[in-house]
Amino acid sequence: MKPDSTLTLALAVLILTLLTACSREPGEADTPESKTYVHAMDGAPGSLDPAQASSIYANFLVVNLYDTLFRYRYLARPYELAPNLAAGLPEVSDDGLTFTIALKRGVRFVDDPAFPDGTGREVTAGDVVYSLLRHFDPDSRAQGAWLWQDRIVGLDAWKTAGADYDAPPEGLRALDDHTLQIRLVQPYPQLIHTLAQGYAAVVPREAVEAYGIELGTRSVGSGPFRLVSIDRARAVMARNPGFREEPVSLAAEGYAAARDGDWGLEAIEGRTPPFVDRIEVEFITEDAARWNSFYAGETHFIKAPVAQFERILEDRDPLRLTPELAERFHADAEPESGFVYTAFNMDDPAIGDPEDPGQAARNRALRCAMAKGFDWETRNRQFYGGVGQVFPGVIPPVVPEFDPGMDRSPVVHDPEGARRLLAEHGWTAENLPELTWGYPASVSERQMFEQFRGFMADIGYPPEKLLPRVYATFGDYHRAYSRGELSLVTTGWTMDYPDAENTLQLFFGPNASPGSNVGNFRDPTFDALYREAAPLPPSTERTRLFRAMNRRVIEECAAITGLNRNLLMLWSREVIMRPDRSFIGGYGFRFVDLAAPTAL
Amino acid sequence: MSGGALGTLWRSRGGRCGLVLLALLALAAALVTLMPASDAGGAQWAGASLEHWFGTNRLGQDILARALEGMATAFRVGGLVTLGAVALGAALGALGGWRPHSLPDEVLQWVMGVLDSIPVYLFAAALAFALGGGEAAIIAAMVLSFWTSTARLVRAEVARLRGRDFVLSARAIGLPAPLILGRHLLPNTAHILLVQATLTFVAAIKTEVILSFLGIGAVHGVSWGLMLAESTQDVLAGHFGNFLAASGMLFLLLLGLNLVADALQDAFDLREASR
Repeated sequence: MKPDSTLTLALAVLILTLLTACSREPGEADTPESKTYVHAMDGAPGSLDPAQASSIYANFLVVNLYDTLFRYRYLARPYELAPNLAAGLPEVSDDGLTFTIALKRGVRFVDDPAFPDGTGREVTAGDVVYSLLRHFDPDSRAQGAWLWQDRIVGLDAWKTAGADYDAPPEGLRALDDHTLQIRLVQPYPQLIHTLAQGYAAVVPREAVEAYGIELGTRSVGSGPFRLVSIDRARAVMARNPGFREEPVSLAAEGYAAARDGDWGLEAIEGRTPPFVDRIEVEFITEDAARWNSFYAGETHFIKAPVAQFERILEDRDPLRLTPELAERFHADAEPESGFVYTAFNMDDPAIGDPEDPGQAARNRALRCAMAKGFDWETRNRQFYGGVGQVFPGVIPPVVPEFDPGMDRSPVVHDPEGARRLLAEHGWTAENLPELTWGYPASVSERQMFEQFRGFMADIGYPPEKLLPRVYATFGDYHRAYSRGELSLVTTGWTMDYPDAENTLQLFFGPNASPGSNVGNFRDPTFDALYREAAPLPPSTERTRLFRAMNRRVIEECAAITGLNRNLLMLWSREVIMRPDRSFIGGYGFRFVDLAAPTAL
Repeated sequence: MSGGALGTLWRSRGGRCGLVLLALLALAAALVTLMPASDAGGAQWAGASLEHWFGTNRLGQDILARALEGMATAFRVGGLVTLGAVALGAALGALGGWRPHSLPDEVLQWVMGVLDSIPVYLFAAALAFALGGGEAAIIAAMVLSFWTSTARLVRAEVARLRGRDFVLSARAIGLPAPLILGRHLLPNTAHILLVQATLTFVAAIKTEVILSFLGIGAVHGVSWGLMLAESTQDVLAGHFGNFLAASGMLFLLLLGLNLVADALQDAFDLREASR
């Protein structure tokens, strides 16, 4: 062999070796007929352990890797609960205190070395008990205890007594392998919703004991997918071949032809999910990079960056993509499950509710004037692409308790009225107090402050009296307002479940800082109404009480509120789906299908 | 600066061009200080027009007005940092050079070595953050970061001059050390201080822009760093006014400063050569 040939052969071997090393792992390779759905997400989960599924990103994945007792119907709006691991909806005692939940039989965890023989065993009611108890185990670093704290009989005592999993509390018991019983301290109508959260996903004890903290990057569940890999850039999930066979009934999932008829969903009727072999979730935090990846066809789905709306949309009402994009993509706008608002810190004597009744009245007038001076429509247009929904109060349009007929004057920009109100109560540029406004360091947050300062300047509030406090991270900002260090707290609330109770509790006195009531609003009338409504199931009476609470927040001008953002979602026409970032979230992955095998 | 050096600077085409450019920019910054940009906005992302030369930003604010206010911020921050860093560096460098290899000098060299081993932007950002952010914090952080290069040069120059006859004579007649340093040695380092001042000014402006871009800088006013940070979103929406205005003015200011710095170095080199 000539030297040249030797060199050529050596190079060829090296290249082949390199190609082999860089190829997919065995078992991962797409078959010619395989379907891979690629989803772009604007953040990454911190952990895949259900006990730490605190972010929307973690929830998206966790509910695919594990089972929860309940889920939300894929297409039903308003959102409706449906059994998932549970065999049906719970039996509830007449006093509303005892929930009995039957589990489906034959549901198995995926095979994993954590099990004695490496074969996944059946999911039992004991696993559900164990998974919920983990949130109360001081050693588990779990984050979901707030969902059930002070709610379930004996649960808090179980924690202080040493958190012995073999001696579960009286209120959380497996009656047998397929029956769970939960006994409540007082009626808690939102309990079923909490059992549809990622926090309530069912993990086997063997996996927790085998992997400990490593469970954050593994999965041993019974969901429709199993985890192949996860790193900072992406998560890869493959179909769980052992997932239970439950053919789709579009009618049962809430299909409405007029609304859902354009997405091709009829193709999944009667078929057993999941429909794709593999899901790749790309974590791309940078807006431009996420958009470019989507536009180049590297991902199938994107939540469009607001800055792109101008280029994406030809019309906003009704929503219409530019012709070029409409040829390639479907689009849908979805109201966010929450709202943004600015709470006044009622503990701040400069703006809040001091003991002196005269000063309290003047402060209330000041708060109301600032609310009148705030231009929600401009905020919506400049920061939310003009597709958000401005609404009065704190019950957003996404929940059934929302009152579409409510007086909208509290969100009408009225600088003239604001100036008049200030003058009537003796406020002048000289005696207006200095107020602090905090924000985490970011361009948008800073611009929102500048805009607010501009709105206030328009009603006569001197800009130099509105003092910005910049924090390096949202965590620092959160700590500052939790300690009551700021006069105004601008924040957003993403709802945990579709029930107005979840937003009204933001103004319940006992939830004051460091709780979720960041404005420290303590109104005896509001609190009495809240306590009266808390044990009631959804009903006309409860809605009446909720709306009365909503009016109290507005009357007291406790916050400048609110705006329900609209999320614009785009997805490839080859994908059959109806995406949702709210309560359906990751539950939708099992229903995703591709019209043809992957061609990305 | 000697009249000869100044004359050389003015006679140099680059120096003259730089001085005129800086003067014009300083004048614009001074004028806009009297008329600060408003929070109130008009039409969002309006295009370039006679009314708005660079268009408007997301809030509808005039981009040119903000860019000029950013210029004022650059001059203010650059000037204060230059004064602080050069003064601190000169003082500490002179002390070290007066008694080379003494304990204070060893300590000074150790401190400078430690500070110089830390990446300057990282150090300034960490200090600015630790000091609470805002303009005063970044000025303090930059002074504490930038004094070492001046100190090294002044130390070496003072150590070289301390054996000269005029210093020995001053010591012989019993003048105290502070007087010798202040009256005889530091004035002889003026050429170093002047060149260092221009270089520090450039570094301070760039650092301020970077820190503000990262959200650690200006809180109340406007900075080119903030405008460039805003432009990352604007560009996605197809608007380039913020980017062009901020980067263009930054370019002009740095160009002017660099032309002057180069001319100054040439001028002092000539002086040294003529000796």
